[in-house]
Amino acid sequence: MKNTGSLPNATAERDQTILRRVRHLGSARNGLQEWRLQRMTALALIPLGLYFVASMLRLATSDHMSAAAWLASPVPALLTILFMLAVLAHAVVGLRSILIDYVHTRARLVAAELAVRGAAVLLAGASVLAVLKLFLGR
Amino acid sequence: MERPLSPFMFPTWYRFQITSVLSILHRLTGIALAIGSIVLAWWLVAVAAGGEVFAVTHAFIASPIGVILLFGWSVAFFYHLCSGIRHLAWDAGYGFDIPTTYRSGYAVLAATIALTVLAWLYVWLAA
Repeated sequence: MKNTGSLPNATAERDQTILRRVRHLGSARNGLQEWRLQRMTALALIPLGLYFVASMLRLATSDHMSAAAWLASPVPALLTILFMLAVLAHAVVGLRSILIDYVHTRARLVAAELAVRGAAVLLAGASVLAVLKLFLGR
Repeated sequence: MERPLSPFMFPTWYRFQITSVLSILHRLTGIALAIGSIVLAWWLVAVAAGGEVFAVTHAFIASPIGVILLFGWSVAFFYHLCSGIRHLAWDAGYGFDIPTTYRSGYAVLAATIALTVLAWLYVWLAA
């Protein structure tokens, strides 16, 4: 472990340079944006995930009333919605990177990708609607 | 000629090492957690629906199969969390040399076990 002090700056500089080059020379598609989305949601999911799992542990032995009451209060409702959206966005990018590695037929890849994205949108919509219903009180 | 692709290489041609095993585990736990997000969304819908739907969902979660699944997802979550932090450190440019990589790998495994034990100890003591 030496010279680590300047590494983050060097990394940022390298990212910038590569981005500039790639935009002009190669077909980068949405790779960099996806890479960033993956890292941003990963960062967000550290506190959100710990908060959600800790809350689940507290609810683990509870009945319906306390779970519903928990989701009816503003902070849990907001953080649960953000958690689900971050999880699903993170999962879409992650699953896509796995699909790209193992699905070698373009048509199958597109089909699998659509299925993953469709499922994620459906789950996101259902989760947000469920939390909103509890928060707004039916 | 068809060349063997990487997953095929593993059992016969490639020696397992902690670096590759942890990398594969990061993906596998990621897939497991993505599947878990379906159950999570279902649980939210069940809480919102209440009544019969919630009762059935709660009974399933509290059943032996449900608890085993929850345990698996908790391990997957804590592993993916710790391993993800390790990945973020790499993205920021830290910890690339082999000794550090091995040390952080074992640290991830130790932290996963510690967090899982703490979480279930809490459930067990609170129940």
